[in-house]
Amino acid sequence: MTAPIYQVEGLVIDLYTPTVSVRAVDGAGFHVAPGETLAIVGESGSGKTVMTLGPLGLLPEGVAVDLRGTARADGKDILAMSPAELSRLRGGFFGVIFQDPMSALNPMLKIGPQLAEQARRFAGLSAAEACKEAVSLLARSGIPDPEDRYDRYPHELSGGMLQRAMIALALAARPRVLIADEPTTALDATVQAQILALIRQIQKEDGIAVILITHDIGAVSVLADRVAVLYAGQVAEEGSAIDVLTAPVHPYTRGLLASVPDFRSENATGTKEIPGIPPNQAQLEPGCRFADRCELVQPQCRTHRPPLVKVGNGTVPHRVACPVVIAAEGIVIHV
Amino acid sequence: MQRMFMRRVGLALLLMLAATALTFWLVTAAPGNVAALIAERAAGAGADGEMIAKIADDLGLNDPLPLRYARWLGDALTGDFGISLRTGKPMAEEFGERIPMTLALLTGGGVLALVLSLAMGIAGAASNGGGIDRVLHGMALVGASTPNFFVAAMLVIVFSVWLGWVPTFGVSGLTSWLLPWITIALFPASVLARVVRVNLQDTMSRPFATTGFAKGLTRGAVLLREALPNIAIPYMTTFGAQFTLMIIGAIVVERVFGLNGVGAFFIEAIRFRDFIGMQATLTLFVVFFVSINLIVDLLAMLADPRLRRPRKA
Ligand SMILES: Nc1ncnc2c1ncn2[C@@H]1O[C@H](COP(=O)(O)OP(=O)(O)OP(=O)(O)O)[C@@H](O)[C@H]1O
Ligand code: SF4
Ligand SMILES: [Mg+2]
Repeated sequence: MTAPIYQVEGLVIDLYTPTVSVRAVDGAGFHVAPGETLAIVGESGSGKTVMTLGPLGLLPEGVAVDLRGTARADGKDILAMSPAELSRLRGGFFGVIFQDPMSALNPMLKIGPQLAEQARRFAGLSAAEACKEAVSLLARSGIPDPEDRYDRYPHELSGGMLQRAMIALALAARPRVLIADEPTTALDATVQAQILALIRQIQKEDGIAVILITHDIGAVSVLADRVAVLYAGQVAEEGSAIDVLTAPVHPYTRGLLASVPDFRSENATGTKEIPGIPPNQAQLEPGCRFADRCELVQPQCRTHRPPLVKVGNGTVPHRVACPVVIAAEGIVIHV
Repeated sequence: MQRMFMRRVGLALLLMLAATALTFWLVTAAPGNVAALIAERAAGAGADGEMIAKIADDLGLNDPLPLRYARWLGDALTGDFGISLRTGKPMAEEFGERIPMTLALLTGGGVLALVLSLAMGIAGAASNGGGIDRVLHGMALVGASTPNFFVAAMLVIVFSVWLGWVPTFGVSGLTSWLLPWITIALFPASVLARVVRVNLQDTMSRPFATTGFAKGLTRGAVLLREALPNIAIPYMTTFGAQFTLMIIGAIVVERVFGLNGVGAFFIEAIRFRDFIGMQATLTLFVVFFVSINLIVDLLAMLADPRLRRPRKA
């Protein structure tokens, strides 16, 4: 297994607004290697976006962020970087695709020149080369008539085309890690599959690391090598996509997969939502975050935070934060 | 776009027509008799009822109002605004002498308001809640709540009387323009600085600003290159409104600083019941209001790519 190119450990992120303070991420971590796709799944509000974009300083202004832990990009500690260093890293090392391309692209700026500027600044191309590169990036992202689209404003393109432009923009600086935060949620069903296919194709060709944040378990099964399941700011379970999707251990992962229609049809018990709502992250109790919604809850679940332990002995570590299921099902723990 | 453009222009012309008709009606309905004033001017105390009646008849003052308005409009369109009852000079001549003065006051004040408001708003947003932001916020609050005659008095006392840097009255050279410009620019600059600051803050928390950061831009670059173009439209609209309001400020400022502009003339016209002068000046104000708003509207349309290049279906 290749060494991770981006690695986050023990991340704690508190968010403060004038009215609330929230522990959005509570001791979570993840890592991704070149050529690998990590999917991060979890309910809305579980902290997927904050965990992934927070260390890069990409949370929206207007909320105060208190961030602890370690985050290493290519071995460099990004949390210790100056704002200027972090800016360069954001532009060149990471490429980010957001959920809604309509609002994520500046309505006053033309598409093509933005790509060209990225190529010029981060890939070291001359102005003329950068312009050519921008057109070929648009073409590569599946945009027909790229010379024409180069001079277009966002409102002149459809949602699907805009997301392709967003992908082209993210790739223009030739990043090593591509972060896609629910890249298909805002798009039509037919376009969704095309965008996912495009991301997969790019990753195959460029061998970059991809972090895919998604609600779409189908997308996970198609794209992901590894999966991290996030619940209330903590990692409940992580492992290879095959392990997590076909042999989930954590009750939350099991519930999440059971709530997906037509998934794992051989032993599906029909779709059912997990009852209850996630805990209020403004007032967190000790113990397992999932306790209030868990059918298997034990008294000690409410007092001790379950550690993330390695189960099975596959080459890709499979880790689960539920001692109760591990004990009940006699799952072997590996150190 | 073309059609929207034509509609705006048409609407502006209609507005001017309606506004001049309204002022014409108001001015003629005001107490006071134009014919009596003219007779008095011509014959002094010897003006009698017969003479007044003859003048009124000659001028068509007894004709119905719509006819008189139509006649006035016809003259006005050829540049003939009548003869001032106060100065006895044709209004066109008065305007010729005074408009440059007022225009210099408004242009200088407008440029100053533009520069100050952008500088203050951007500096505030760059500081983002820091000391500079708070100081600038306080300054804008004071600037937006201090009446301009008071500002003028303070400036004159400090810079003319105490320091003797600039003359207290009249204009001679560029420095003498400084106090009038500052006085007239302070209010619009303060209002506009808040518009810049608030809109920039709002824009900086929009998703495309996050994209700007993700592109590797520093905060300053995101502010200037991604956020600033997006506030152009609200800024231009407010600027237009504030700039037209500056004509009201000009009335006070011209009097205080002894500038022989249109605003000062208007006050005198009211004092002397110079109905011809009043009507002419009000017409000028209306044309100024409507055309500035029209220009700003059209510029704002041009600045917005969504309006400039509407998506083809
Ligand atoms: N701008 C913000 N201001 C205040 N709280 C925030 C903000 N952004 C996120 N949060 C809080 O942080 C927590 C994690 O949010 P996050 O956006 O990371 O969730 P997510 O898993 O990405 O959800 P979604 O699937 O809806 O995108 C939530 O409790 C949320 O309320
Ligand atoms: S630790 Fe307890 S509460 Fe948490 S998931 Fe496991 S059984 Fe449920
Ligand atoms: Mg999210």
